[in-house]
Amino acid sequence: MDDLLAEFIAETREMLEASGGELVAWEADPTDRARLDAIFRFVHTVKGNCGFFDFPRLAGLSHAAEDALADCRSGRRDPDPTLVSAVLAIIDRIAQMIDAIEAGEPFPEGGDDDLIAALDVSRETAPDSGSEGGLEGASEGSGPTLHAPAASLLASGGDEPGSAPARRADAAAQRTIRLPVELLDRVMSGVSDMVLARNDLAHRLRQAGTQPTIDGPFERLTTILSDVRDAITRMRMQRIETLFGALPRLVRDVAAECGKQVMVDLDGGDVELDREMIETIRDPLTHIIRNAIDHGIEAPSARLGQGKREIGLLAIAARQSGNTISIVISDDGRGLDEERIIAKAIATGLVAPQDRAGMSRDKVLNLIFEPGFSTAEAVSNVSGRGVGLDVVRQNLEKVGGSIKVTSRPGHGTTFTLQIPLTLSIIAGLTVEVAGHRFAIPQSYVEEIVQGTARALDLTRMGETALVTFRGQRVPCLMLDEVLALAQAGAAPAKEPTLVMLRLASGDLFALAVEGIHNHGDLVVKPLAPAVMKSGLYAGSTLLDDGQPVLLLDVANIAAQHALVSDTRARVLGADDDNAADHGDAGARAMLFTDFTGRRCAVRLELVQRIETAPTSAIDRSAARPRVVIDGLILPLIGLPDAPLAQARVRLLRLSDGACELLYAVREVEDAVELTEALSPVPEDPLAEAITLIGGAPATLIDAHELFARYGEPPVTAQRPRCTLPEGEWARAILAPLVTAAGYDIVPEAEADPSTIGILFEDVYEVAEALGRPLPPRIIRLRDQPDAPAGTDTIYRYDREALLAALAAEAAAVAAARTGEAA
Amino acid sequence: MTGDLLVILQIAGRRCALDALQVKSVIELGAVTPIPRAPHWIAGITALRSQALTVIDCRRAIGLSANGSDAAWPTDHRAAVVSDGGHSYALLVDGIEDITTAAGEVGQVPGGFGAEWTKVARGMIETMAGPALLMDLSALLTGPEAQRSEIEAAA
Repeated sequence: MDDLLAEFIAETREMLEASGGELVAWEADPTDRARLDAIFRFVHTVKGNCGFFDFPRLAGLSHAAEDALADCRSGRRDPDPTLVSAVLAIIDRIAQMIDAIEAGEPFPEGGDDDLIAALDVSRETAPDSGSEGGLEGASEGSGPTLHAPAASLLASGGDEPGSAPARRADAAAQRTIRLPVELLDRVMSGVSDMVLARNDLAHRLRQAGTQPTIDGPFERLTTILSDVRDAITRMRMQRIETLFGALPRLVRDVAAECGKQVMVDLDGGDVELDREMIETIRDPLTHIIRNAIDHGIEAPSARLGQGKREIGLLAIAARQSGNTISIVISDDGRGLDEERIIAKAIATGLVAPQDRAGMSRDKVLNLIFEPGFSTAEAVSNVSGRGVGLDVVRQNLEKVGGSIKVTSRPGHGTTFTLQIPLTLSIIAGLTVEVAGHRFAIPQSYVEEIVQGTARALDLTRMGETALVTFRGQRVPCLMLDEVLALAQAGAAPAKEPTLVMLRLASGDLFALAVEGIHNHGDLVVKPLAPAVMKSGLYAGSTLLDDGQPVLLLDVANIAAQHALVSDTRARVLGADDDNAADHGDAGARAMLFTDFTGRRCAVRLELVQRIETAPTSAIDRSAARPRVVIDGLILPLIGLPDAPLAQARVRLLRLSDGACELLYAVREVEDAVELTEALSPVPEDPLAEAITLIGGAPATLIDAHELFARYGEPPVTAQRPRCTLPEGEWARAILAPLVTAAGYDIVPEAEADPSTIGILFEDVYEVAEALGRPLPPRIIRLRDQPDAPAGTDTIYRYDREALLAALAAEAAAVAAARTGEAA
Repeated sequence: MTGDLLVILQIAGRRCALDALQVKSVIELGAVTPIPRAPHWIAGITALRSQALTVIDCRRAIGLSANGSDAAWPTDHRAAVVSDGGHSYALLVDGIEDITTAAGEVGQVPGGFGAEWTKVARGMIETMAGPALLMDLSALLTGPEAQRSEIEAAA
């Protein structure tokens, strides 16, 4: 069975069990508001989940029940016993359907309408006497036999309760049990203690020397212990990915329902947190996402009208900071309407009108978390009655978390959920500064950079330090200064190690430390409140040797130094993608396919232009191929070993400023942006990195290595020169041929001894007879195809012979020149 | 209070008492990791098995050593482990003397115990080992700054 479906069934059943007591209590006292709310939430959640899974009958039933209950909640209707029975019948039916879904059996058709009709949604408590009839009718059904109508309603639906598929005890493929969390905590801390005791014992055993009789069992103990520890850890922790995994589908479906286009951007799926916490935030997250799509993001036409992209963006990012997880859900929709919120709040009596003036925008926005609040004008199938947000806040507060909202009209809304991790295992990095060790949550660490202060371009701007990271100036905090550990007068470290940290808001900063120790899983424990007050630490953890270290509260440290921008910056940044493209031209590359078929990229700054050269311009006689372009002899790389089949070849002309070289490519694709991470390829010296371009891998050429190996300043090629005979034929027919073969045509007046003269045989004979001066190198052309014996002439249409003769003469010229040079 | 078990400590040369039920154990204090930029009365954190304890220097927490010299009092190599608000602390004191029983109720002394002591003391108590000042643990653990502001707020 589909995992999601199994989860849905388990969740619904769990809620059914939990609401069993509520149902009975509500039956006894239909006016009990708290019970009503609990049952309302149940049907609301079922409705929401059904929409997700396409169970129209379940959705129909729960929607009807929800409508009726919503009327009760808003006071439009009194929860009379008839209504109670009808709702109970629907809940019973939901339970039966869930059983049927789990068993994979079809649920008998029909009967739903009767149940829905029994709710009689239209019958609202009218302010006049008309309501009495309803109340009288209700009183008939009151008393100890209250539940009987529910059963009879089910029966009248043509579907006896007994015929529903019996709940199967063996439904769950994997046997599970539920345990109190405290028990898990105790086991976990017991195992941690055992690990420390083992370490202590290991230390003593080493001191005592090798004792084979003890060492064997001790090794076994160690192995078992680490297994147990892993298992215990896994018992509690789960990657938030398991929660995120279902979101794209949810977003897609909800967006489709609302007729909107929404793109979802998930980040931080590798953050691990307590299973319990994941379960706690599952519903809140779902509610917020539904709300964001339903109310926040505008319809495509409205978006276009406001100059936004048609597709709305919903960004969900999870970050861990010590024992807090923050989940930021931002949309780029219309934002919250302060005036409507306040009007609604006044209408529902949440706020007295006279208090309005004294309320800040923030305070007003956060009214949306008050029970019974909703601004949606139309109640839709997706979200709508404000059930989401008040429950969201309640659930989060129950576990010590919080939620807040910020919004800019027209630009979007950001919900920030903070969830505590009383006990968590996080991947952390241990750093050292001034003899102290501290841990940093790995989730923040973007990269670790090591180098000289000069290489990092570490500069002081007033009290602030800046480093250059990937061509970007990034603020840099000195950890020893942050912690007031810097010794006065101590020279700054020559080679600081920089830990590049990226915050949940997307801001990047560097933290300079003296050394990195190691990284591993850290069990984070909370700190005493007096220590937490410093705002520098998020918790403490024990290293393997039992030494306690403090976990730095990276987010707070950054905030203290005013390095955090508004959390919405991330989303807005994505919104302004196109603008950013032009601003950040630092990482663009030319994408091409080389002759081995490999997809490569070379940084765009290097590419002078794309040349197309005839294959004949390539000289492969030397060890390295060369090519003549624009009269320059340039080194050529990237050629296949086999001769080229095509007549022309595309070449990328690369330049480092002084040297140029050409890279032969099979096909030039496009200039692209390097957006994905660059992962180094140590095994290939010519590759700087491998990266993803348009979803496919591409090798980024290492320009440094390329020029180090092949670069050479261009040499001006002396193009061999020729003089042509006079006449129309020579100008129109011979000249293009000679030029194309790579010869310059010069007038007779400029001819020098290295110039090759092309003459007609008759002109040559005349000149020779008259004793006129002739060029030293001559090619004689004749008019007849058949050569008269004994003459060194070439038929004027014999292309091959002509070019060969030219080449021979040119070679002789070159040889003569090198001879002179020598 | 009579008959209750008390742990007798020496803090800044004075005999003090803690309710024995509040003291979870007495440990040999191992290495203490200092906490940069934490309040001065927090000596650091130390590990007790897999648990991290916040080490409180009681003399400073009372607010005494601000004007006196640190060397004036010896420091016991043992520390009393207490728990408050779900967090565990190790109390650094001059010495841990004994466990004894209270021989009377908590009483006040005319003229009080002095500004610093009054903030952290519940009163004087007679014990089998002589009179001692019964400490208010939560007041002690909030540190001198909080106590001072409380007094100011009250005044």
